[in-house]
Amino acid sequence: MPDAQRQSPNAAIAAHNVTLTLGSDKAPVEILRGVDLEVAAGTSVALLGPSGSGKSSLMAVLAGLERANGGSIHVAGLDFAAMDEDDLARARRGRIGIVLQAFHLLPTMTALENVAVPLELAGIADPFGRAAAELEAVGLGHRLTHYPAQLSGGEQQRVAIARAMASSPAIIFADEPTGNLDTATGQSIIELIFARRAALGATLLIITHDPELAEHCDRVVVMHDGKIEERVA
Amino acid sequence: MLPLASLWRIARRDLATRIRGLRLLAVCLFLGVATLAAIGSLTRGITSELEVRGQTILGGDIEFSLPQREATAGEMAGFRRVGVPSATVRLRAMANDRDGEALLSELKAVDGAYPLYGTMRLESGARKGPPPSGAIWIGKDLATRLDLKVGERVKFGEKAFLIDGIIAEEPDRLGEGFTLGPVAVIGLADLPSTQLIQPGSLYESKYRVRLQGSADPEAVGKALTAEFPDAGWDITDSSNGAPGTRRFIERMGQFLSLVGLAALVIAGIGVGNGVASYLAGKRPGLATLKVLGADSGTVARIYGLQILAVAAVSIVAGLIVGALAPAIIGAIAGDVLPVKPGVAIYPLPLAVSAAYGLLIAIAFALPPLAATRHVPAAGLYRATVSGAARIDRRTVIAVAAALAAIIALAVGTAREPLFALGFVGAAIGLLLILVGLGWLVRRTASRLPRPKRPLFRLALANLHRPGAATGALVVALGLGLTLFVTLAAIQTSITSEIRSTVPQRAPSFFVLDVPRSDAAAFRTMVTKADPKAEINMIPALRGSVTEFRGQRVDELAELPEGAWVLRGDRGLTYSPVLPNGSELVGGQWWAADYKGPPLVSVEQEVATSLGLGLGDTLSVNVLGVEVQAKVASFRTVNWDNFGLNYVLVFSPGTFDAAPHNMVATVAVGPEAETALSRSIPRAFPSASLIAVRDVVSQVTTLLTQMSQAIAAAASIAILAGIAVLIGAIAASRERRVYDSVILKLLGATRGQILGAQGMEYAVLAAILAVLALGLGLAGAWYVVTQLFEFDFAPDPLIVGLTLLGGAGLSFLIGIAGSWPLLSAKPAQALRSL
Repeated sequence: MPDAQRQSPNAAIAAHNVTLTLGSDKAPVEILRGVDLEVAAGTSVALLGPSGSGKSSLMAVLAGLERANGGSIHVAGLDFAAMDEDDLARARRGRIGIVLQAFHLLPTMTALENVAVPLELAGIADPFGRAAAELEAVGLGHRLTHYPAQLSGGEQQRVAIARAMASSPAIIFADEPTGNLDTATGQSIIELIFARRAALGATLLIITHDPELAEHCDRVVVMHDGKIEERVA
Repeated sequence: MLPLASLWRIARRDLATRIRGLRLLAVCLFLGVATLAAIGSLTRGITSELEVRGQTILGGDIEFSLPQREATAGEMAGFRRVGVPSATVRLRAMANDRDGEALLSELKAVDGAYPLYGTMRLESGARKGPPPSGAIWIGKDLATRLDLKVGERVKFGEKAFLIDGIIAEEPDRLGEGFTLGPVAVIGLADLPSTQLIQPGSLYESKYRVRLQGSADPEAVGKALTAEFPDAGWDITDSSNGAPGTRRFIERMGQFLSLVGLAALVIAGIGVGNGVASYLAGKRPGLATLKVLGADSGTVARIYGLQILAVAAVSIVAGLIVGALAPAIIGAIAGDVLPVKPGVAIYPLPLAVSAAYGLLIAIAFALPPLAATRHVPAAGLYRATVSGAARIDRRTVIAVAAALAAIIALAVGTAREPLFALGFVGAAIGLLLILVGLGWLVRRTASRLPRPKRPLFRLALANLHRPGAATGALVVALGLGLTLFVTLAAIQTSITSEIRSTVPQRAPSFFVLDVPRSDAAAFRTMVTKADPKAEINMIPALRGSVTEFRGQRVDELAELPEGAWVLRGDRGLTYSPVLPNGSELVGGQWWAADYKGPPLVSVEQEVATSLGLGLGDTLSVNVLGVEVQAKVASFRTVNWDNFGLNYVLVFSPGTFDAAPHNMVATVAVGPEAETALSRSIPRAFPSASLIAVRDVVSQVTTLLTQMSQAIAAAASIAILAGIAVLIGAIAASRERRVYDSVILKLLGATRGQILGAQGMEYAVLAAILAVLALGLGLAGAWYVVTQLFEFDFAPDPLIVGLTLLGGAGLSFLIGIAGSWPLLSAKPAQALRSL
């Protein structure tokens, strides 16, 4: 049966038999070995697993940051496997928000400008007004004109969350968003992510090592050695 | 302090694995040193060849040159007493073929002893002595232009000569100086049969002497001048057989060296950037060394040794290429050079180039190296250092000393130190302006309203973000482009002056040696060919100044500044009225019918250089007779009208006793020009016709060759600027990859990312182009109007294209440097960020 036909009608993410091999031809490293994963729209999924199990690579493939070697990937109704790099970039606009462990803000832009960038790229009206509102929503209304270097780690991650959420994406990917933060700040960031997701009704795939955080999610998926080992509802 | 050997051991271990980081330093130093070494070696190669071949070039150990007369029996006896003399007579004459086509040539009559040194080489083989009686050897150009072959005949004056051979190499060609036509050689015994030498004809007799034993030519010259004080000869010795060529080569070499030095300074900026980014990449290593117990001085010495080692290798590589340059350039462009440079190693220019390279490396590498001493070990782990790095006083003094040494070396090794000082001063001024403008660009970029579009915003931010190389790029590329604009504007201004301005005002011909008795017939012939013809005909004599204000010229230890009129023999004339193109600025012009004692009118600048006042005496030697005149007036002369301009104009009657001919300028329409070029040589066989078009073409060719040499040296400046640009792109690669990955993550396409980079380089290239245009034109204006005293008329198209080419190249290289960013895979890059 073709992959597209196996996809559940309400799945925001549907990946079947996804493989990813990196490294050189002489020394290939198999990162993903036939991953199958479906995430229903509007649900949250925690992706757990030891370091090197392939969690971040799977997220990269699902977010269109990396092209898989094999398998089918449908995200927000689009066939990612058939797209080139630029198509994938365009596909992310307004559909996908990404939050990373190391924040990855543009250092030469203010908090407001950082949040406005994806809105502008997606051609969304009033990008700066919406960006300001989003920063207000994450509690940084007073830091609009500050540069990343002038913000604390927690504040930088809040800007990254605002940036991911500003275009009201249908899907949010978060890769260990609290990994670089202390416990208290991390807790507030998790609360913020879940609050914003709920407000948007978005699908969330979050990578974490924290079992407590995983408990917040509708489902927990555990990866091991490039494969999904168990799914816990 | 750790022993040097230990420091070097650590430095070498680290260097072996990370030498790629110092590539920019290596490339920049190599380019600069190779250019300077090549220019220095080539100049030395040519001048030393002129020295080594001095006897051949001059045709003897010493040469006595006499205008318009042959040596007397007494003088000949004097020459024979000191060695073996060889006589030659040289004059301009028209070569006529069987169809009546005529071409101005340099006719040279040689005696049996010719050449005393070297060999006359014909295409058919080497010869000694003169051609057989009634035969002639002609230059290749004469054979080609009149379509003459061996065995055919060519006529000079009244004599038709049998062509016995085509000249492949005339041994004393360079010593003969500037020529207006191809050479033709006949035997001295055949000269009278041409009937070209008449009383008053403009010709030159040269007596070259091979001295006995190891006689000193200078002493011999002085002794013979003392013996024949009224000879009025011009003496040249073999230590400087072609003084004009040598002066030209040395001046050109000096100018090119200064252009090369400018290129090396640009390379220095690359050295500074290269070292700074290399050390930035070494922060973890530096920190580790400090953690392990190395003090700041030790760390600085370890990395200083690495930089010094790479600099030394680059300088040596540059010296090798520079040392080979004379042989390579001689093989490729030997025909353009006055002599093929000797294949040898010239230590002095190589040593000077190495010293420049080392000093530039010290001046530009020390500041970033010194900055590492003052950063604490923990601070080295931080990604960026906030604020400007502190530089200690010792480093400031060392850098200032290195820069002072560069200036001292440039001025100290220059042939004309004042010119070199002026050039260095202008270069420093330009550098300071560019540094200021670089700062202004960064400041303006940071204060401009933020563009609404994110990619514009990124492009603008890249110009002023911490660590941006904008300042260095403005200086390096700005200096290179400014140099290009300056050269293009100078070259096109001079070309336009020659090509358009001069011919409009210039006559069609100069005609030499029109017999006085034929002056009326000459006028009639020209007016018949073109009734609107403009003819300016004046008497022409040659003579040398022997005395002024009571001062004997031969007793002067050194010629006064600007007193070139005292060197050799000069053109003299007399006139009842103020000549065309002259303006009286002092004294009074004599009455048209003046018949009193000789008076002279002197060109004002020459009068100033000789300190002459009205009523002072000035004596000239004409055909062995000394004539003394009183200074009656001063004139300014318009030199650029291609007219008949003389520095010294005497009152009528001064030279009545001296036989002489007339010289004329003739301005006619194109049809009459063609007709007269055939009819004048036939009607007046002793007259020589010089077509102004040919002179203009010769001068244009020479100027084009000069500008090509300068442009070649200046290209190194652009290359060094581009190396700085590539280095800056390499140094900022990490942050550019970061930016592009984040933008891709947020949905930007590769085209948009490339557009942002392109915008950054386009803004930079546009700013540099405007800068270079302004500064370059200002510099060119100064050179053209103040040094050359020409009209400033640069060709906007050529200047524009040159600028566009330079700026466009910088832009394209910037874009090419950004290409790898596009292939950065977001997921892969994020793993390593």
